[in-house]
Amino acid sequence: MKEQLPSPDFDSGQYARPNQNWICGHTGEGKPCRIGPDQKGRCRASFECQPAFELKEGETKGRYRCTRSAQQGGPCNLGPLPTGACSRPIPKCVPVRSLRAKRGLFTVSVVAFTVGVLLLGLSRPFRARFVSPGELSAQHGTATFAAMAGAAGNHDASCAACHQAAPAGLSGWVKSAMAATPAPLQFRAMAAVGRAVMTSLDDRCQRCHTGHAFHQPNVAKDHSCSACHQEHRGPGPMHAPSDDNCISCHASAEAMEASFAVGRAQPAIAFDYRPEQGRVLFKAPRPERGYTKIIHSFATDHPQFQVLADKLKDLDTLKFDHQLHLTNVALPNGKKLNCSDCHKPDAAGVYYLKISYEENCKSCHPLQFDVDNSGLVLPHGDAAHVRDFVRSLPEQYADFGAKKKENASRHDLENFVQKQIKQIREQLGSGEELEQRIFFSDARTAPVARIGERGAVGAARFPGCAYCHEVAPSGNEVPQVTIPTIPDRWLIRARFDHGKHFKVACATCHDTEHSRQTSDILLPSKQTCAACHSEQGGVAHDCSTCHGYHSPRKEQRTIQAAR
Amino acid sequence: MTSFTRQRLIGLTLFLVLSALAIWLQSRWFGAMLRLSFLSGWILFVLILALTFYNGRKKLPFLPLLSSQAWLQFHIYAGLLTGVLFAVHVSYRLPSGWFQGTLAALYVLVMLSGFFGLFISRALPKRLTARGGEVLFERIPAIRRELQDRAEALALKSISEAKSATIADFYSRELKVFFESQGNFGLHLLEVSSPLNRVLNRIKDLNRYLNEQERSVLEQIALLVRQKDGLDYHYALQLVLKTWLFVHIPLTYSLLLFTLVHIVLVFAFSGGAR
Repeated sequence: MKEQLPSPDFDSGQYARPNQNWICGHTGEGKPCRIGPDQKGRCRASFECQPAFELKEGETKGRYRCTRSAQQGGPCNLGPLPTGACSRPIPKCVPVRSLRAKRGLFTVSVVAFTVGVLLLGLSRPFRARFVSPGELSAQHGTATFAAMAGAAGNHDASCAACHQAAPAGLSGWVKSAMAATPAPLQFRAMAAVGRAVMTSLDDRCQRCHTGHAFHQPNVAKDHSCSACHQEHRGPGPMHAPSDDNCISCHASAEAMEASFAVGRAQPAIAFDYRPEQGRVLFKAPRPERGYTKIIHSFATDHPQFQVLADKLKDLDTLKFDHQLHLTNVALPNGKKLNCSDCHKPDAAGVYYLKISYEENCKSCHPLQFDVDNSGLVLPHGDAAHVRDFVRSLPEQYADFGAKKKENASRHDLENFVQKQIKQIREQLGSGEELEQRIFFSDARTAPVARIGERGAVGAARFPGCAYCHEVAPSGNEVPQVTIPTIPDRWLIRARFDHGKHFKVACATCHDTEHSRQTSDILLPSKQTCAACHSEQGGVAHDCSTCHGYHSPRKEQRTIQAAR
Repeated sequence: MTSFTRQRLIGLTLFLVLSALAIWLQSRWFGAMLRLSFLSGWILFVLILALTFYNGRKKLPFLPLLSSQAWLQFHIYAGLLTGVLFAVHVSYRLPSGWFQGTLAALYVLVMLSGFFGLFISRALPKRLTARGGEVLFERIPAIRRELQDRAEALALKSISEAKSATIADFYSRELKVFFESQGNFGLHLLEVSSPLNRVLNRIKDLNRYLNEQERSVLEQIALLVRQKDGLDYHYALQLVLKTWLFVHIPLTYSLLLFTLVHIVLVFAFSGGAR
């Protein structure tokens, strides 16, 4: 440990005056004068003393006496001048500010600089950029938006598109601030809890976004736009609203009851919207109370998906057995069918491509009605074409024979056609009977029961249209084959991205192995989703993960589900 | 339990409780209480104003407004609390934009300078006490001059008494500048004593060439050298203790000015929105 120094000696009679603004200029040299500068920083040094005049008894002239204090060394040797002035003048100095005064001056300078920066920043050329709390979103930060707001190239006007007070300047802003609702000192209003009511800022939103029709027609009271949509958060898309925004209404019994009351008076058609760019939507009938159940979170009290809760059925007329296809069908390579053999993701990977006969069925189910001519197949997609094909069978055989036997003579072709017609008549009866079988027979009535088994020579591949389709007679007209309509979207009030779920096996969510009927809707239950999409599951579970506030406009093709 | 310990315990407890309350309120009511950030902003502003008043309180020592120690404790813990409130107020996000960015930067600088001040006001006085030689900062120039005069007088005295100019020459060559100036500012802050050791070693080296009388004089000069080094040490550390406020106080006023404009802008531009 170092040796501790004693405190240095100091003449306590020397007063340092640290609180005064000015100190003697000789302080730095260690020899400040005793009197020090005045309040305005002027040197007051004159002489070391003011000689006193003494007149002793009997003396007529008297004499001056040095009055220098003992602390300064006592009376000097020279003594006062004959004029009575001190003979020891104190050298003048240039007083300096004390450290405290320097700090004060520096503080004032910094404050003045700050005021300058603020005035400059708030002046017209710079204020829009200066006060902006961040870049606008992609929706509102474009030149197109500025042009719509009548503010192309004018930042002030661009701000004014949303902020009424923007063009007013500093004094106008103070007035606007005082007139704001709630006003700056209305703390009770600031602490209010509840639905976000429309504000003057939101009124500006409605200049472009008319009303609240873009949510649900049964919204009882308009909700503040800006409460959910926070702007100035960067140039990307606007941030998704938080769950708090949604449950401010959807967890409020009062709001939901009011919404139900409004919805009850609305026609069903008012709620019929949802475009999906050509996709076929499965539309569940609107529940009696609409969608006004109290919801706090997905995992807790979000209702079961309506298609499952109401046990809705797929109304598609195509006859399809998922279980059969996934368990009993063997491919030429010996493997079983997989979901992905038919269900192919679209380019974005979000949804799946539509199922079509040409892409997904034909390879296993060619419409080969003649056992002996594997290349001769019925056309698919139009019942009239099928009937025409059947009624022109000799010509079809002739064409087929010509293609099959390129160098055959006319005589040979005629023989081929006659032979084939004879064989088919023997197998399937008259032309009329053949037509009936082709349209109306199913597997049980077809010539063979083994359907779609590839490479099995001799087996009829085509049991009849009615094997897969709903076919109804129509007198002398072409039989009516109901065109299958396979929905692309089932939960139409939510979004789903298959691409994001690529790690999850299809069977985890879709119970295909127990589905034998087309009417089965193979959707996972809410509980299946919540196993991951919950706090416990650790995957995003906020409302906006699946739902959007803004409802799209009307869709052209929909399927009305039936109970 | 001493009064200081009690104050510290109360301050720490209040800080922790209020911080937890602020964070809980933010997480629980952020969505439902739409203008929660308005309220947190006001509380933050009032707290900063109260913290600023500490400087004014020091200028009004005659007012019966609690002890300076109590005010300091309040200043420290309320200052820490503003950090939590600031984070809550900005919803744990970095503010963007020129104005808000500057406002946040000012707050952070004031906060950091406060932490620095707290650190040095805890650490440096201990070092000063350990070193000894307590002296008022304002008296340092006068004491330095006195030490210089005494050293010069000893050097001159050695000429007449020892009939030799060895010490006087050594003084003018090695020690004059040392006594005239406030040296080794940075090294003193870093607690480096090599400059003093260097001077003392030179004095020691000179010692072997001196007679008994001169050695006695040189010994007295060496004592003055130690005192002067101690004075420089006090000057360096006390200067830091006084000058950190050159950052903390001016920036606090700048922060208040920006905050006032911020309040006006928020109310004028939000139109009542959150």
